[in-house]
Amino acid sequence: MSEQIREQVSAFLDGELPNSETELLLKRLMRDPELRESFGRYALIGESVRGGSHARLSQGFPGRVNRAIDGEPLVADPQGVRGRSTVWWRPFAGAAVAAGVAAIAVVALQQRAIAPTLRAALPVTVTNGGSAPYARVALNGGATTPREALSYTVPATVPDAPAALPAARLTNYVFAHSKYSSVLGQNDVLNDLLSEADSEDAGAAAAAAAGRAANDTAVPQPPGTRSPEARVAP
Amino acid sequence: MTSGLPIRASWFVPCAVVGLLIATLPQRSNAADEPRVWLEKMNHALATRNYDGTFFHLSGGRVETMRIVHRVRAGRVTERLVSLDGSGREFVRNNDELTCYLPDQHTVLVEPRQDRGPFLGSLPQFGAGVNEFYRIESLPNSRVLGHSARVIMVTPKDQFRFGYRLWLDETSAMPLKTQLCDSRGQVIEQILFASLEMPENIPDSDLTPAVRTEGMRWVRQGASYDGASSALSAYRASELPPGFRLTVAGAQTLGGATEPATHLVYSDGLATVSVFVEAQREPNSGTGTDDKPRVPVEPPMQGLARVGSGYAFSTMVQGHQVTAVGEVPAQTVEFIAHSVKSSSGGDLRPH
Repeated sequence: MSEQIREQVSAFLDGELPNSETELLLKRLMRDPELRESFGRYALIGESVRGGSHARLSQGFPGRVNRAIDGEPLVADPQGVRGRSTVWWRPFAGAAVAAGVAAIAVVALQQRAIAPTLRAALPVTVTNGGSAPYARVALNGGATTPREALSYTVPATVPDAPAALPAARLTNYVFAHSKYSSVLGQNDVLNDLLSEADSEDAGAAAAAAAGRAANDTAVPQPPGTRSPEARVAP
Repeated sequence: MTSGLPIRASWFVPCAVVGLLIATLPQRSNAADEPRVWLEKMNHALATRNYDGTFFHLSGGRVETMRIVHRVRAGRVTERLVSLDGSGREFVRNNDELTCYLPDQHTVLVEPRQDRGPFLGSLPQFGAGVNEFYRIESLPNSRVLGHSARVIMVTPKDQFRFGYRLWLDETSAMPLKTQLCDSRGQVIEQILFASLEMPENIPDSDLTPAVRTEGMRWVRQGASYDGASSALSAYRASELPPGFRLTVAGAQTLGGATEPATHLVYSDGLATVSVFVEAQREPNSGTGTDDKPRVPVEPPMQGLARVGSGYAFSTMVQGHQVTAVGEVPAQTVEFIAHSVKSSSGGDLRPH
């Protein structure tokens, strides 16, 4: 990343880049994979250096970067913050914080799962052992652990990779799971929508939802809740 | 909540005004309520507002650019997620179904959504229980992409779940930046909006996939249904990480399968894990000498894979394939998958 770009990215992340330059930077990012990668690292570095949070880089980043980050004091000590045990908090769609990470996982499945540096970058810690019913090998212990041999990745674009798990199958699981980790699948959200609905269409949906709720089990879909235009032929 | 003015427009709002307003707020009053209020605002905004944004998804040193378009019109929600980085993958969902276009795989996946019934009807009330496993707090406001943002931190109290840091736009409550963190606060994944507009109207064309589907294979996952009659319906996780509870139990024929799988959903109120229990597909036992090419056999799956910000773990339990998937640490999907057994029989755990 050139110094000029670096300054632009820095200004962008700080919200100080003029709109006209922002557009150009984004266009550039979208067509330049290497720049995006640099940007990704830089965004994390900037986060830590600026102290906007106590973000720390996970393993797998270049040592130079890690050292730079390690030199930065943490802004706050999470352990030192008092828990707010009295807060009543309606569950929110955590997985859906922006767009539904399961959906993102599907869209990004291929690139993500075959990233060779993925293992090294895993920030997973060894389980504390006390509560887990089985022993577990640290994932970031390197490529020679027995666990590593068992692990599989999605062989979408790696023809010679062992097909321990067909990519399509993993995709199907994530896809089916995404229903329950999306904004739309959340109870409170659906209630919000239904309460605000004023159309015939939504009324049918509300009736259908009420019927299903009363039944307490999944039942064949009531007629009228599907939009014909949304159907696709197999 | 303000109108659907583009956030871009507020880019130019004098910061001093916002800053003054914030400065006049007592820093410590309502400290306990504030994070909850803001999370609810965010929820409401994400569910009920129109928005069209481009964001970066940063994970493991990689960055992908995606666009999200979300429209609520007359009670119907349509959402489109598009990868802008070449794969052309798209994910479109509405009230009825999810459709995933995978042009790189020449495949379109369709998932019906009419199984919200049990979810509506049997959703446990976690309420305060969530606070047992997460600590929720406000951090000092900061600026993100030129906007003043509320910063909310959700920290897991153990290693079975991830935490979040959220930068919520002061005016719209939209999450301009989110970080998924492990229990030590290390960032696993980050979503950073590059642009975000909240238009009054979003034309159909912005929600229409750009993918050309001619010649693509359509895979339609079966509808979910009550799994009571299924032989697999008695399977449950016999042990769960603290705070996780069963929220959905159903069955569904997944794409490519001939037999329905039991689909269990466990949640701690925030994180969600799906468990699929299937009969092993096309088992090849007992025909070891037959080396003629036959119907493709799907070998048993065993191991861990990373999927997005979460993990999938698969193992065999007495001839059944058990796979746990969720936006949780690896140990959580492993824990749950290993504990699955049939409640009508003996302990089927492999250990």
